[in-house]
Amino acid sequence: MTKSFGSRCEQIAAIVRKDFLIGLRRRATFAAMMMFALTAVASLSLSTGGSFVEPKILSAMLWVVIFFAASAGISGTFDDEAQACTLPTLKLYAAAQAILFGKMAGVLLSLIALTTFILPIFLILFDVAVENFFLLTTTLLAGLVGLSAAGTLTAALTTSATVKGGLFPILLFPVTLPIFLPAIALTEAAFTGAAFEASALVVIAAFDAILILASSILYDYL
Amino acid sequence: MNKILILLTLAIIAAIIFLVPPIKGLGDLAKIIFFHVPTAWVSVIAFFASAFFAAKFLRTRDFSFDVLSARAASLGFVFVLLSTISGAIFSKLTWGAYWNWDPRQTTIFVLILIYGAYLTLRAAVSDEKVRAKVSAVYSLLSVLTVPFLVFILPRMYFSLHPSPVLNSAGRVDMDSTVLIVLIAAVVDATLIFIQLMRRDSS
Repeated sequence: MTKSFGSRCEQIAAIVRKDFLIGLRRRATFAAMMMFALTAVASLSLSTGGSFVEPKILSAMLWVVIFFAASAGISGTFDDEAQACTLPTLKLYAAAQAILFGKMAGVLLSLIALTTFILPIFLILFDVAVENFFLLTTTLLAGLVGLSAAGTLTAALTTSATVKGGLFPILLFPVTLPIFLPAIALTEAAFTGAAFEASALVVIAAFDAILILASSILYDYL
Repeated sequence: MNKILILLTLAIIAAIIFLVPPIKGLGDLAKIIFFHVPTAWVSVIAFFASAFFAAKFLRTRDFSFDVLSARAASLGFVFVLLSTISGAIFSKLTWGAYWNWDPRQTTIFVLILIYGAYLTLRAAVSDEKVRAKVSAVYSLLSVLTVPFLVFILPRMYFSLHPSPVLNSAGRVDMDSTVLIVLIAAVVDATLIFIQLMRRDSS
């Protein structure tokens, strides 16, 4: 049992490493995601023109930017494999679950990179003083975990679709809504320093767990 | 079955028009509630039916379940649109606005989005086998949001929506004529849904 778990972890790590190397060689996807986020934040900041924006709107905007930039970046998670017909070979090397979790870990890492890149820019451009930085980090991290779990499975679903543009966010949004609503409320509390409901954090964490479990079960049927 | 259903529907419409007393201060248009509640009920039933058949398909790989799952979703999409529009009209009468993102309105809107996403996904995949698999998986994935939308969201936000007929006090706050007609309308809508599911399959 321990040995198989260990080898599973090795497989997951190898897939993350492989995707990371390919990502470095072909920077297009990653660059597109970052530039998308930057363009979105810049356009929002320009259009509000330095006027005061309520923390509630700010936190919603931050999550909208993250959602759509993530959509642009992770929708093609399985596409490269499908185009190059390497998925069957990958399945020979690793168990299906290892592939799923490898991809999921890779997606999570790229989303963390995205957020690390865009959050300071967002905070500077909108002149936000974060009152509760720990809450902000925790909320973002918890939200990104769920986003990557649902996003990885959704990416596997859309790989075979003929119409790609726009399909991914359409599918992902309703599934991740239970994460966004509490996450937006918590982010607002982190901006203002107001008292927050810890139960909202529990809701996000619980839904993260449900999404990871469901992706793991449903991926076997694909 | 069809004729009985048509008769039943006509009888219920007649009862709504002539038998049910006008709702105080809201006028006759408020009777749209007898249309809203049954269609909302069916859109949720259809959602679960679609997921149920999706699970059956994934277990058996029998394509007739895929057909049923898709049909439940298409019917559910029509019912959810009808329910949303009638709900918005009732909302305008009672709350003064067609839409204000009340938790119930959020829930039904997410249901529209899920149905729409499911049908878009089906339209976007051309290979029959892949389409069946992929849409079944999405159907089951989207069902996961239901507990959140039904149990958690209404607790997070204040709702103006009237409580269900059987409220937490376990007491029925409704005129018995109104209640009987409403239950009959819900049963009728459910039967229409079942009939539509069966008719196309034969």
